[in-house]
Amino acid sequence: MKKVLVTGATGFLGGSLVERLLAHGENNLRITVRPGSRRERVLTAAARYPDARIEFVEANLAAPGDAARATDGVDVVYHLAASLRGAPADMFLNTVVASKHLLDAIGARKPMRVVLVSSFSVYGVAELGRGALVDEQTPLETHPERRDLYGHVKLRQEALFREHVGKNGFELVILRPGVIYGPGGIAFSSRVGLNLFGLFLHLGGRNLLPLSFVDNCADAIVVAGQAAEAAGQVYNVHDDDLPTCAEYLEAYRREVKAIRCVRIPYPALAVLSHLLERYHAWSKGQLPAIFTPYKSATTWGGNRFDNSKLKRLGWKQGISTAQGMQRTFAWLRAKS
Amino acid sequence: MTLKIALVGCGRIADGHVEEIQKLPTQARVVAVCDREILMAEQIATRYRVPAFYDSYERMLERERPDVVHITTPPQSHLALSRLALDAGCHIYVEKPLALNHSDAKTLIDSVASSGRKMTIGYTYLFDPPALEMRAAVNSGALGKVVHVESWYGYNLAGQFGAAVLADPTHWVHALPGRLFHNNVDHLLNKLIEFVADDEPQIEAHAWRRHPVQFGDVRDEMQDELRVTLVGRETSAYGTFSSHVKPAAHFVRVYGEKSIMNVDYVARTVTLDPGATLPSSIGRLVPAFGQAMQFLRAGARNGIAFARGDFHFFSGLNRLISMFYDSILDEAPLPISTRDMLRVSAWMDRIFSQIGAGPRRR
Repeated sequence: MKKVLVTGATGFLGGSLVERLLAHGENNLRITVRPGSRRERVLTAAARYPDARIEFVEANLAAPGDAARATDGVDVVYHLAASLRGAPADMFLNTVVASKHLLDAIGARKPMRVVLVSSFSVYGVAELGRGALVDEQTPLETHPERRDLYGHVKLRQEALFREHVGKNGFELVILRPGVIYGPGGIAFSSRVGLNLFGLFLHLGGRNLLPLSFVDNCADAIVVAGQAAEAAGQVYNVHDDDLPTCAEYLEAYRREVKAIRCVRIPYPALAVLSHLLERYHAWSKGQLPAIFTPYKSATTWGGNRFDNSKLKRLGWKQGISTAQGMQRTFAWLRAKS
Repeated sequence: MTLKIALVGCGRIADGHVEEIQKLPTQARVVAVCDREILMAEQIATRYRVPAFYDSYERMLERERPDVVHITTPPQSHLALSRLALDAGCHIYVEKPLALNHSDAKTLIDSVASSGRKMTIGYTYLFDPPALEMRAAVNSGALGKVVHVESWYGYNLAGQFGAAVLADPTHWVHALPGRLFHNNVDHLLNKLIEFVADDEPQIEAHAWRRHPVQFGDVRDEMQDELRVTLVGRETSAYGTFSSHVKPAAHFVRVYGEKSIMNVDYVARTVTLDPGATLPSSIGRLVPAFGQAMQFLRAGARNGIAFARGDFHFFSGLNRLISMFYDSILDEAPLPISTRDMLRVSAWMDRIFSQIGAGPRRR
């Protein structure tokens, strides 16, 4: 019976992925958990599939020995574990170095397939111009040090996987989700704006927000993970009927709660970014360079998106964007 | 001439070192970074545009021939890496804590002495703006003779480093003789050394764990509250390390024969408690306004420094590095004496021997 390893299963996306894997017939799962992390969501999902075999392995992938134990005897790996925030060294350690340990362990055991959950943030969109289409052919970022840390980390992680494919010969499938959202997630992607000392700076304006409802995203990962023709392929993951950032924010304020917002149009943001970058250099980093022209063009320049490659693979959006937003806002409303 | 700087150990604190060194272009330039995990060396080199990165320390020393090596690895490796750097003719900046115990600290400092090279240690708060202001006031006699000192170091277990320690039972902090305290109480004790002149003051320490048992492993045994009393011939001191008092305060109080000084490292203020100088109820009314004026002046000074672009988070680190490089380039005095480093390491040994490594003692 095929054994599937899932890393990051106790996270926001991971919980949904476990449920989707079970729903798609994968009933022999090994789940890595950090010592002391919560398993309830995985166990709740597993309870609906009494015939499934779920094995928990306590593992910190930043430690090489743990990765070897986790991958022993597995046939497929779904690698979601990643650091979303924290100090740069911690993010590289927990995402890139952890991936290296996983890949080294895989190299020795040769599972059939590795499914990597990457991110839209690996694309180098700053120099493409506003409104450029982002699809799987979009060039990757060439100046990771000039943009946000998460993008830098995910870019290096992807590169590492591609290097190991060449060396070890496993099948690699890469999925690059846009903004994963849903109950249990955060309210706002930075694409919409930033909360600054209680004031929400609305920076996204009429840019399309590449939402991917968490269950839809998990479904896409499983569809690609199980499709023979996905070997060696990359798939962008986002839903249809995408709202603009302004529409999302307006719906949030209507459905969840009123928040104090200031809209900063992109031309004003571009000027502000330029000034902040100069100030950062003049003051030798007295304030962090949260806005620079490069970062602003990347995150708030605005793009169009294309998920047709994923659809050609057979993925269909299960939860509509309207339903997804409704469920997310209901959860956020209850939480607040 | 600018010094060629290399750094080994590309964890969290390495960012601060590279950033601050790069602010001193007339004194030094970072030529290479090293970590036994090449990806960690690569990431910092990419982000700070450092020209070379290595996973072999020996190869880095051989190829780059640095003038100074900053050792920012966990303390378990400080002694060995220091010796290799000294053998290669380098001066060394070693992050705190200096070593695993006093014996290793002595060996390290003996190696420095016999090499003819220079060293310093990351006692950065001694060079923060409030510490400099306090030192000037004490030296001017504003407090009179110092009777007692109180050093408070608040720690946030939910912060980035604390969370990393609690998330991982194999974290190197759990393997230190003094565990969580070992990696932090330098900052508590090094503020006392300029007031407590004794090599061997009386020391009494108490420690316990206050965070809940929840992991079923070594993390449940980690003590997180420490109280220390030191009594020297001329001056006494209290030290408090607390992981649970919120906000995580960071201050020193210097009690003199004339006045009491409050040095706040978080708010970057230095104020005096002058006491009542006027009679009756007036004497209870006026001091608050005097205190308010002191805070106003301190805030204004900080504001002016900010407007000049001279109000940085790592001010003390920057000043310490610059003074250390001056000691190499211009034979200026060393910013921290090796005697003081050894006194701190000896006091740490004595504290850890008293509190033990057990889960709770009170």
